[in-house]
Amino acid sequence: MSTGETRRLSVPATDEGIKAALDALEGLWAAQGVSRAVTWPVEVSLDEVLANVVRHGLAGRGDAAQVELELRLEPGDPPRCEVRIEDDGPEFDPLGAAVPDTSLGVEERPMGGLGIELVKRLMDEVQYERKAGRNHLRFARRLVPMEQ
Amino acid sequence: MEIGEEKAGEALVIAPFGRVDSVSSGELERHVVGRLDAGARRVVIDLARVEYISSAGLRVLLIAAKRLKPPQGALALCGLGPSVRTVLELAGFMSLFAVEPGREQALARVGGASTT
Repeated sequence: MSTGETRRLSVPATDEGIKAALDALEGLWAAQGVSRAVTWPVEVSLDEVLANVVRHGLAGRGDAAQVELELRLEPGDPPRCEVRIEDDGPEFDPLGAAVPDTSLGVEERPMGGLGIELVKRLMDEVQYERKAGRNHLRFARRLVPMEQ
Repeated sequence: MEIGEEKAGEALVIAPFGRVDSVSSGELERHVVGRLDAGARRVVIDLARVEYISSAGLRVLLIAAKRLKPPQGALALCGLGPSVRTVLELAGFMSLFAVEPGREQALARVGGASTT
């Protein structure tokens, strides 16, 4: 690990934007030599949050709407990754959503609602703030293997 | 997204490759639903080459499970690496699926693999 790195990017609120954001995260791991074995929880979490923003908060606005991202990798043993996601969609605190019942069977299990719950379970910290008419979501994790 | 496929008697193995995220899962869903619409009833989804799966991918697995309920259908998953297994566990999905280590065991689980 070297000195750590912060990447800022702005992506459109589309599938292409989500793909660009996930590719940027992969690029960050590669540049810093971090094993994919410990980074996947961050990638899953970024996908979950962006899918929510693109398909709900900014739905229908397409290329005209942008999502601002900051991807930060701090060196250390273990290293730590922090992701900040900012958008100007309607106020929405995903952490306030109902917790899905993960004990239901195939028939009763609803199709959605799992994404943010996964983020909460995969990350060490998740925080939402509404500031100056914008949604700010931040999550972070020490890059150690998930406990089994 | 690259999706591999293998026919084994009456059974069908579907093997997605790479990230199963909110972007690529749409393609996986169309592929799986297409095969189910075409009459596939004994299905193995081999996740050995999947880097990770997010909730959009779990949704596709759930669609397949709902449509392949016994006794008319049979579905088994195999090849779960640490990332896929962890997400399925956190989502409470392990109890919803027949999970086998490898493709052979999964095919035995869904039956119909014999060509005779």
